[in-house]
Amino acid sequence: MFEQPLPRWLGWAADPEQARRAPFLARSPLFAGLPRRLLARLATRFFEKVYHADDVVFEEGDPGRALFVVVEGSVEITRATTQGPYVLNTLGPGDAFGELALIDDFPRSATARVATPGRLLILYKSDFDALMEGNARIAVVVMRNLSRLLAIYARRNPLAPEVGPGAEAAGPL
Amino acid sequence: MSAARLFAWSGLAALAWLARGLVLPIFLAAALAYLLSPALVWADTLAIRRSVAVGALFTVIIAVLVIAGFLLGPGMFAEGAALMDRMPGLARQIDTGLDAVVRELGESAPAIRRLLPEGGHWVQRFVLDRGPGEPGDLFEHAGHLFLLAILIPFFAFFLLRDMHRLIAVAMDRLPPQHVETSVAVWRELNGVIGRYIRGVVLDGLVVGALAALGLWAARVPYPLLLGVFAGLANVVPFVGPLLSAGAAGLVVVLTPGQGLAGVGRVVALFLVIKVLDDTIIQPFTIGRSVHLHPALLLGSVVVGSHALGVLGMIIAVPVATVLQETVRLLLEHRRVLARRVRRRGPERLVA
Repeated sequence: MFEQPLPRWLGWAADPEQARRAPFLARSPLFAGLPRRLLARLATRFFEKVYHADDVVFEEGDPGRALFVVVEGSVEITRATTQGPYVLNTLGPGDAFGELALIDDFPRSATARVATPGRLLILYKSDFDALMEGNARIAVVVMRNLSRLLAIYARRNPLAPEVGPGAEAAGPL
Repeated sequence: MSAARLFAWSGLAALAWLARGLVLPIFLAAALAYLLSPALVWADTLAIRRSVAVGALFTVIIAVLVIAGFLLGPGMFAEGAALMDRMPGLARQIDTGLDAVVRELGESAPAIRRLLPEGGHWVQRFVLDRGPGEPGDLFEHAGHLFLLAILIPFFAFFLLRDMHRLIAVAMDRLPPQHVETSVAVWRELNGVIGRYIRGVVLDGLVVGALAALGLWAARVPYPLLLGVFAGLANVVPFVGPLLSAGAAGLVVVLTPGQGLAGVGRVVALFLVIKVLDDTIIQPFTIGRSVHLHPALLLGSVVVGSHALGVLGMIIAVPVATVLQETVRLLLEHRRVLARRVRRRGPERLVA
């Protein structure tokens, strides 16, 4: 699906790290449908960070300013209940979380904790906004994908039940 | 704090003090890196290695500078040489004119004679005599400029090539729970500074080109030199446009045959450029990167001028903008944290 951005004879000048990011992001449901050119542009805006086991990426109630994509390892999404933290979902490579930070500035609705060590890609809201200003197509595709994810979650949880054993898996954070 | 850590910090502080001469080249190199960074983002989208992209970019810049030197260099050199030849004569002319004004003022108000004595040789004393007099001084000034010309691209090259690695190292050292907010604040400020620097340079280029074309059309001498000066001076808010209009006006006054009509043409030209700059050029170039209240803008320029002179006036606006944005982001952060306490019902469905 993804042809090499540079011709073969210029392979010596290629940055393998950047070259693998766009195809990786294409696998995430949030960026599905974006053309290669825009995915490559989006990929340049991500930062990568190594996380260790039990590192807290963000806590419930923290200000949301970035979207995260799991590259390696796994992340547990938990929410505080009267019986203690309840695991809503466990995310693996290719999964994105914290996506609502891209559209509003409400506090995080759950806690994200690294279960197995790995790497996360981080996209900051200001970078995403700057990218959207020049590329309406990115805004349309990402917002459509996000609406689809929200619709799936809303259908699964029509009454938004209190979190606890028996509740559905986590929706967008 | 342990003795070893104290020793290390003292050593770092001493090193920083010894290397204080590098602050200006590093500051200018950072500005150059901000200016060139969009080209590297474009190279990143093509997955080109940073070192290759930066090398290619610098090769292109050197080629453009060489071509521009061939095209514009001889004209500017000729204008500069002619101006230097005429400088002592021009200084005498201005001093004679100023003496006449002081004499007239002294006749109407004798108290002024004590403040402004006749025959003060103002331009001779305050402009020409300020230049490097001794050959040794001249070599020292030329040496500083040469060093700047070497150090700025040198530092900019390495900033552009390695900054993403330094950021990765810094991010890995930040505590995980602080990464999101601290880096988000830095990204916002980074965006503001980058847009401002690129906007100011583009604005200066357009204003300089308009001034040079306008002065050439108005048959004012030295249009290239005055255009370059107008473009550079435009970086200094408020004072810059006045200085460039004043310099062009002075050249017209001292040019035989131009008269008051020439001064009027220059004033009208710079007024038109200023109006165009404020209404059309700046909204496109600097745009929304600066949201300072005019009073704050003026205040920051005055404070910058007192603190660091011309350099302070140039950096006053971005520094004030960064401070304002930091305060705004911290207040926003506080507001969001306050919401932790009063969580609302309907939002919990999705957020």
